[in-house]
Amino acid sequence: MTGAAEPVDPFVHPALFYGDAGEYLAGTVPFVRAALAADEPVAVAVPGENLRLIRDELGADGTAVHFLDMREAGRNPGRIIPGVLRAFADGRPPGRRVRIIGEPVWAGRSPAEYPACAQHEALINAAFQGREVTILCPYDTVRLDERALADAHATHPVVIPAGSGAGRASAAYDPEDVVARYNLPLTPAPGAGAEVLGLTFDAESLSAARHLATGHGARLGLSGLALENLALITAELTTNSVVHGGGTGALTVWAEGGHVLCEVRDKGRLADPLAGRRPAARDQRGGRGLLLVNLVADLVRIHTGLEGTTIRCYLGR
Amino acid sequence: MRPEPVRPLPAAAGPVPAGPRLDVYPLTGRKGFRAAGEVSLPTRGIWERALGRAVREGEDVYHLELSALTFVDVAGADALAGAARSLGTGRRLVLYRPPDSLPRILGLLWPGLTGIEVAT
Repeated sequence: MTGAAEPVDPFVHPALFYGDAGEYLAGTVPFVRAALAADEPVAVAVPGENLRLIRDELGADGTAVHFLDMREAGRNPGRIIPGVLRAFADGRPPGRRVRIIGEPVWAGRSPAEYPACAQHEALINAAFQGREVTILCPYDTVRLDERALADAHATHPVVIPAGSGAGRASAAYDPEDVVARYNLPLTPAPGAGAEVLGLTFDAESLSAARHLATGHGARLGLSGLALENLALITAELTTNSVVHGGGTGALTVWAEGGHVLCEVRDKGRLADPLAGRRPAARDQRGGRGLLLVNLVADLVRIHTGLEGTTIRCYLGR
Repeated sequence: MRPEPVRPLPAAAGPVPAGPRLDVYPLTGRKGFRAAGEVSLPTRGIWERALGRAVREGEDVYHLELSALTFVDVAGADALAGAARSLGTGRRLVLYRPPDSLPRILGLLWPGLTGIEVAT
């Protein structure tokens, strides 16, 4: 895969640039076939239309491949490491390289989603350091903007230029910079208004805050599973503020387009960028709240710094 | 961000429940307990003590009647998973009518966990 010297880290994470379906298939299908030939487990997690391209090309050989529509499984970029990549890699028997095609960045990603996508791509490197895993990430050079293509060079240690087939080390590789650069202040939550629930909470009012959030979420159009998820998200974020974030925080719930947004601000600092992205070891007690938030939300955006932390979750209504 | 009491805006006004409760009662006729209320940070200790008794009692099957439980957070599910793990081979907790989110959290965060069964 790499044209240059073999990397020291057994984890391999190339970006594959493609301009059309032909280049897409030329870059992905041999990767899958090589894994199948070596009896290595292989998964393909890409947007539905590209999933169909690969599946059709593989034909009967595709039966041994684990296929996932990334638009569903990876809608929240923060869910992809624990819920897609490690869920597959950790479940495979040791001793064989695990190969995954993961396409988390596509042209329809919203401006709210994109910073979380870039941070996710950067954090894959730390999350899989030392693992016998290869994750190939296709990037559409025709439909993605310049920024997304430039960021791919910073989040991937190896890049495969469109139509070339051969990888080379990326001179721009700097994942920590990407994590820091997209740790952006969020657009301010709306102030008080009929459609906005805003309150501050502490240990005494955790339960009331959750009830008010779910009541407001229901008025904004959430029901069923989405409303249950709002209750869980509110509980985990507000409890984290009380236990780890200085004892108090501010909760805001409002609607934007097709989503209900739930935001919690506190004075704490989230020092670990992989918090909520590591599947916990079975015997580990605690530390799963943010992981659950990532698994059930449609988007999680985080801004953290010396002045405090803001976590904003989106739920489709 | 000055702490102040939770106060709903007028449009969001609704019944604001008093502090959360969790009440635990022993079952009659079989080993286990019935829990009513919610499992969250303020009530976590009550829940963990009840589960600790379940583990110590040594029964092969311990029944948890949870139909009056309105909410369980991740730490509450964690305590349940921890109790199930410490039961040892052949013993299990059986949950009756838990809130829908509880089996879902257990499945998402503790896939393949043994020692807990949801009665159907």
